[in-house]
Amino acid sequence: MKRFVGSPFSAAPSPAFDCDRAWEQALEQHYAALCDFAVSMLGSADVAADLVHDLFLHLWRTRRLGDASRFGRPYLFVATRNRALKYLRHQRVAQGWIERTLLEEPVSPETPDARCERQDLERAVDQAIAELPPRCREIFLLRRREELSYSEIAERAGISLNTVKSQIWRAALLLREKLREHLD
Amino acid sequence: MPKDEDLIRLIEGECTAEEAAAIQRWVSADPERAALLRQLRTVWRLTGGSPQRWNLDAARKRLQSAGAGVDDAEPLPNAGVRAPGPARRWYLSRWPMRAAAAVFALAAGLYWAARMSPEYPDREYTTAPGQRAELSLRDGSRVLLSVDTRLRVPRDFGEATRTVELSGQAYFVVRHDAQRPFLVQTRRGVAEDLGTAFDVRAYDHESFVQVVVAEGAVALQAARAREAGPARLTLYARDRGVIDAGGTVRRSPLVTVDDYVAWTRGALVFHNAPVDSVVAELRRWYDVDLRVETASLGTEPITITFTMESAGEAIAALAKVLDAEIARSNGVVRLAPRRSRVRSQEK
Repeated sequence: MKRFVGSPFSAAPSPAFDCDRAWEQALEQHYAALCDFAVSMLGSADVAADLVHDLFLHLWRTRRLGDASRFGRPYLFVATRNRALKYLRHQRVAQGWIERTLLEEPVSPETPDARCERQDLERAVDQAIAELPPRCREIFLLRRREELSYSEIAERAGISLNTVKSQIWRAALLLREKLREHLD
Repeated sequence: MPKDEDLIRLIEGECTAEEAAAIQRWVSADPERAALLRQLRTVWRLTGGSPQRWNLDAARKRLQSAGAGVDDAEPLPNAGVRAPGPARRWYLSRWPMRAAAAVFALAAGLYWAARMSPEYPDREYTTAPGQRAELSLRDGSRVLLSVDTRLRVPRDFGEATRTVELSGQAYFVVRHDAQRPFLVQTRRGVAEDLGTAFDVRAYDHESFVQVVVAEGAVALQAARAREAGPARLTLYARDRGVIDAGGTVRRSPLVTVDDYVAWTRGALVFHNAPVDSVVAELRRWYDVDLRVETASLGTEPITITFTMESAGEAIAALAKVLDAEIARSNGVVRLAPRRSRVRSQEK
């Protein structure tokens, strides 16, 4: 058999269709959820976004290993947690927090059973929000449903930033009381 | 010293790294604070979505500037069938196209059913040798047509089933819908999508149908059931299934999918392939009348990758591997043993 030595072209082969697409899809589908997960461990959106950025950069550079599982949800979450733990250890964050982080679970996709239960829970949540004092409810909903920033809320409601914060905190404590049986 | 209210900022990710560390230390020092944090986090989860507006586009741009990601990645079209016309980009920047093919006109025969169906007539999409095309079907599935290929989409596509008829090679990325199965009909058998992406090769002049599954699963059914061997097999990711000339379906697991779908990114990969089949493929890809004197050059299988340069470069690469000389006349390209080699053999 004739030996074929080297590529007849100097050009490197173009990136593989498979792994490029897998990377893109992983980014598209899981980016936000991974950032949320990272925030739950880190408390800082900036640090979380950097961490997830680094993870995807690493995945890109090693994508040709051809291991499709590395673009799947389970791997991505484990990798995010490991990177978060590494970061926290490096920052010498309290050991107690690191132990909590080890137990942190990503919110997983729902089963039909869970969705059914959730409908009951949703009713309870809607009820609890409805029972908040009107002003407090309005500000809380602007934050959690309209997803406005604190300063946007202050502007829209014509109140100070501090008032926004104190109303949100008030809503948080009231909801915690009303929903106590669902929280643990 | 942090206070209870700061827990909200921690949950929402509004802290700097230093603030977060301080609050985390404070939480760790007291189990009651940890419990409060956990409850508040649950309240947040129950009452709304993500605490941050994560910007995927910005993240992608940042990754691209760091060298990650495909530059020309753009959302893939997924709605409606377009009238045949210039195809949308699909890694088009890497597409080698001869000048004639650069027009990239999808030579689409459009024939109308006798019965009235103004919305969706039968459609036939064809590519000539040297041409490729991408299209979106009206169910949102995408098809990448290889060279010298014909795909017919009947008028009733999507009513009871989503059936298409293929002669040639195509890569399918299917939106799975168990209610309306997606079927690729070929002369020798049917490939039924059981979810996601696969390549079907069914050229009329070849005696086999080949299906390679990139993702998900595909059921491969021979047109005529034979007694020897199964007539239907389910293929999973990294399986290659073949219906041979006798109508038998066979499966080889764990193939290198990338080699089989290399054409979708503009490369042709051959491992231990007969010279004849390499030549046939180059003819289709470059629309060139290439003839190789296999009698004198030998028929040993060759291993070669073409990354889709010009026809001239591809032929030069093949000539190098075969240790052959290129002669052109009247639009025919011939590969024959090099004269120096003939002489040295004669000595």
